[in-house]
Amino acid sequence: MARVVILGAGVSGHTAALHLKRLLGKRHEVLVVAPNADWNWIPSNIWVGVGRMTTKDVTFPLAPVYRRKGITFRQAKAVAIWPEGDTVDPLPTVEVVHTSPGRAGEVERISYDYLINATGPRLNFGATPGLGPDGNSLSVCTPAHAEQAAAELGKVIERLRAGEPQRLVIGVGHGTCTCEGAAFEYAFNVEHELRAHGVRDLAEVVYLTNEYELGDFGVGGMVFEQQGFLSSSQLWTESLFRERDVHAILRAHVERVEPGKLYYETLDGVQDSLAFDFAMLLPPFRGQELAAYDRTGENITDRLFAPNGFLKVDADYSAKPFEQWRAGDWPSTYQSPSYANLFAVGIAFAPPHPISVPRKSPAGTVISPAPPRTGMPSGVMGRQVARSIAAMLTAGAQTPTHTASMAAMGAACIASAGTGLRHGTAAAMTMYPVVPDYVRFPGTGRSVKDTYGEVGLAAHWVKHLLHFLFIYKAKALPGWRLIPE
Amino acid sequence: MNLGDERIAAAPLPTSRTIRLRTFVPYQLWRFLRINLRMVAMIRKGDH
Repeated sequence: MARVVILGAGVSGHTAALHLKRLLGKRHEVLVVAPNADWNWIPSNIWVGVGRMTTKDVTFPLAPVYRRKGITFRQAKAVAIWPEGDTVDPLPTVEVVHTSPGRAGEVERISYDYLINATGPRLNFGATPGLGPDGNSLSVCTPAHAEQAAAELGKVIERLRAGEPQRLVIGVGHGTCTCEGAAFEYAFNVEHELRAHGVRDLAEVVYLTNEYELGDFGVGGMVFEQQGFLSSSQLWTESLFRERDVHAILRAHVERVEPGKLYYETLDGVQDSLAFDFAMLLPPFRGQELAAYDRTGENITDRLFAPNGFLKVDADYSAKPFEQWRAGDWPSTYQSPSYANLFAVGIAFAPPHPISVPRKSPAGTVISPAPPRTGMPSGVMGRQVARSIAAMLTAGAQTPTHTASMAAMGAACIASAGTGLRHGTAAAMTMYPVVPDYVRFPGTGRSVKDTYGEVGLAAHWVKHLLHFLFIYKAKALPGWRLIPE
Repeated sequence: MNLGDERIAAAPLPTSRTIRLRTFVPYQLWRFLRINLRMVAMIRKGDH
């Protein structure tokens, strides 16, 4: 019996675990290591952040699901990989530190035949002094953060009711952030809530972003075909900002956040500051703190991981200018080039380069979005790597049998702009491929036929439906595998 | 006025008809179907 260990139980890790168990049955062991006891449908955290949902609505305990499916679960945090074992035992192992109340702090070494790193991001609030819930701004990255943001938003609404003007700044807290789509969603959900409470007139909503243009979303923007014209996501997004009277500060890197005031630098080198009454600023991401050692105990972390802490896989990491970036630079099997039994999926794999054009200020500050690799692409990666490992274990495949390149897959994204089954709105977007391929699609980089966007109540219904469908799927209830990633 | 606000001020505004259609239930039921069909197409393209 072989053992497949999965580090992380987010979208990609949990998907991989469920598919592996389905494919391997009782012949092999599937073991998940995750520091949190609960699974979280992160896209709905923005609704927790405006008080329309609670933590209970977006989470459920993992242990009962894994018990029912026959998956071994360790509530623990991985701290080191020994892909060659050590001088005593040549079996590859991963070192974990338990986080459950009964075993907190206990160190365990778990051997593996295959290892999937799906550890997701480390929320790097420390990159910007004063950023984050422990500093002077808010976040919606976790349910607890989102609950805190909702409570603070409630206070803002009370002050507005008392006739006190308020400025709400929502966006990203560093020049290299990703997930601009989540910041966009939260900005428009907050704006929607202010209108719903009848206090919009005294509120100024400001979206602060590292994007070069609105509508970039870290994917270099999109080109849509609308009524016989090629239109851009930039124009479409700017129109929504105008309609809803949301201000925007573009091309910005937040340098520090003080109580009620943030300081930022823009791409043209201007230093400025902005006073606020409420600030929700997303942090940049780093890889989790995971070290690697060879058999002799020598630290090989730099060989396995990129400097940003994400695991190197089958991508082309050679440094080259933007003009020479190719779709083929992106990984397809997510297998480590160093160890054939090591994979990384979701945010945990190191992208070869951004998708948006990289830019620096005159002072050398990088101000451009990091590439998103969450949601649908993450789930697809988890499933495809699970299929490859299953084929390697049961059919004797020597190399991964399944691929999931972001340069060859499409993605659908629903960005909420306000909740409510009758008056909610959202922006529905699809793009193909996620990573532009200017060889296949000259000029636009993507299929114009398959890339589109629209705003309306229907998109909100879809987002609401996806909330329930994905939680149902993650609970592995009957028919779960019929719901696509 | 900063760069972002300059661009926003020049953006096209939707007509009142477009805004009405965005929450007009019969039309949105049709759009709901269309969005789901597009998403299914995207899912198929990601299956290798």
